[in-house]
Amino acid sequence: MSAAEAEPPCPSAVVGRSGRAAHRDVGTRRDRRIPVLGWVGFALVLMFVIMGLGASRLAGYRVIELAGKPLRPPSLSHLLGTNLVGQDLATQLFQGARTSLFMAVAAGGGTVVVGVVVGMLAGWTGGPTDAVLLRVMDIFLVIPGLPLLVVLGAYVGPSMTGVAIIIIATAWPATARLIRAQVLSLRPRAHLRASVGFGAGTIQVLRRHVLPEVTLVAVAAFVASAGWAVMIESGLAFLGLGDPLRASWGRTIRDALNFHSLFFSGAWKWWLLPPVLCVALFLLGLTFCGIALEQRVNPRVARHAVAPGARP
Amino acid sequence: MVRAVALYGLTLVVVVTIVFSLPRGMPGDPIQARTDAAGPDAITDEATRARLLAYYKLDRPLLAQYRNYLGRIVRGDLGWSISRNEPVRDIIGQHLPWTLLLTGTALAVSSATSFAAGIGAAWRRGRARDILMVAAMTGARVLPAYVVATVLLLIFAVSFPVLPLAGAQTPFADYANPVAAMVDIGRYLILPSTALALGQLGGKFLVVRNTTISVLGQDYMLLARAKGLSDRQLKYRHAGRNALLPFMTMLGLHVGFAVSGALFVETVFGYPGMGSLVLDAVKKVDYPLLEGCFLTLAGAVLLVNLIIELVYTRVDPRVSASR
Repeated sequence: MSAAEAEPPCPSAVVGRSGRAAHRDVGTRRDRRIPVLGWVGFALVLMFVIMGLGASRLAGYRVIELAGKPLRPPSLSHLLGTNLVGQDLATQLFQGARTSLFMAVAAGGGTVVVGVVVGMLAGWTGGPTDAVLLRVMDIFLVIPGLPLLVVLGAYVGPSMTGVAIIIIATAWPATARLIRAQVLSLRPRAHLRASVGFGAGTIQVLRRHVLPEVTLVAVAAFVASAGWAVMIESGLAFLGLGDPLRASWGRTIRDALNFHSLFFSGAWKWWLLPPVLCVALFLLGLTFCGIALEQRVNPRVARHAVAPGARP
Repeated sequence: MVRAVALYGLTLVVVVTIVFSLPRGMPGDPIQARTDAAGPDAITDEATRARLLAYYKLDRPLLAQYRNYLGRIVRGDLGWSISRNEPVRDIIGQHLPWTLLLTGTALAVSSATSFAAGIGAAWRRGRARDILMVAAMTGARVLPAYVVATVLLLIFAVSFPVLPLAGAQTPFADYANPVAAMVDIGRYLILPSTALALGQLGGKFLVVRNTTISVLGQDYMLLARAKGLSDRQLKYRHAGRNALLPFMTMLGLHVGFAVSGALFVETVFGYPGMGSLVLDAVKKVDYPLLEGCFLTLAGAVLLVNLIIELVYTRVDPRVSASR
């Protein structure tokens, strides 16, 4: 009993619901921590954006070009050495960043556009339209994603646009649900009802009044979808279902692992490790951005992050 | 309950329709795959080709094919694999148990671990251990399953060969008793299921942690504490039980994620489950096998989701009351 008193196991949530000490403690510490995380995430993402946009300039060779002797360790002409057939690994890494960036923007952006449009329509119109759209979202949410992606991937063929489209096709319901919930909570707002009263049509209301309100949620959803797109792109490439002519971190990892004496020659340090780190860091950066955004967007999370019961 | 069954039934119909229509739009066709002149059983003359198309009913109108397909599925007949020359049902019968074992183990391990860890972290939120755990779990979540699987494989099967490299059991093993068989299969299961469970852990942990934190802020927790309940009771009976409900809704989605992850993990470990089978079917453009695989996986995931939803109404009386 005395031990429990000496150190309250749950400082703020149970004991200090209105206690000032607990309030201050949680409030300040968290308020400072989250922005730092967000900045780290932003810096990581920015690094990969620069890497992807400048890929052609940074990379000294073409992706499939046999640039030098096979299996060279890093040198000045080949910053990360060469692979089994003599392709430049640094080039693959930079161009892989470009592929990932394209996928993050195209597939992540497409997912959000589809999700926002469908979500706003469902949330605003209500009634049978909403019911049908919600059913469609539910149906697509429970179908196992990756097997569907693999089947779709084989169907569309190994092209970047194709992969982007199938990622959008499988990922939009999650965003749509999020936006729909947000719009539902907006519906009773006075200014929306007023604009309907003044005769604004559905599209007008959605574009002028609802869209600005869901923008922050949409941005958070974009960050999440972009991460998902990067993960799926590299995953499909890893399975050998990506575009064979394009560099991809997933494919570099696959090639490296298919090389049997990877770990006896030390080649893994410049062949396997860089793409693995790139995938992990890019996803980590996006996740950090997402967490930081979530704190701003989701009042529930934000409230608990600041202090329980510390509502303004 | 009727609503849930109807929804999942409808979803199944959509899945069947997708399964039917996709492979028919895929590039190439299975007969064409065997017209390679270098192959051992090359089909070069048009008459044989036409006969085969007719045999597989690929020359019929799509609607007739669809009706035929639905009828066969209702009868439990998934067709005949073109690349393996075996009934699809038998092939899936050989592979499905391994995937069930793998995903089941991974789901059980990751659920139990993430639940305990999530409550523990929420209980001590803001402390060093909580922050450390959140960081570790976030890291585990962002690493793709195939990367985790590869790293585990390299550490425990290549660098320190304490566990088997690939497969699901010792080839040509002749087990003396069931216990030996279980030990052997268990040894082969450790790495793949760990890789799969690690990928599952992060998302679940964060959900449990966040819901527990919001539960801990409730008035009834303050009251329970004021009554003088022990920490254990507070943690598991009050906070834990309430955090269980959002967790269970998540679990349905995670079954789908686990199946998806299994596809990668099985590829890395050469585990003879559905994942390896799906990839093989895609490579060989084997319509019936691919259809059967995807249908089986989707059906299994839907079934588990339905069961979870039905159990959910039992666990939370409020859900059934509101309907």
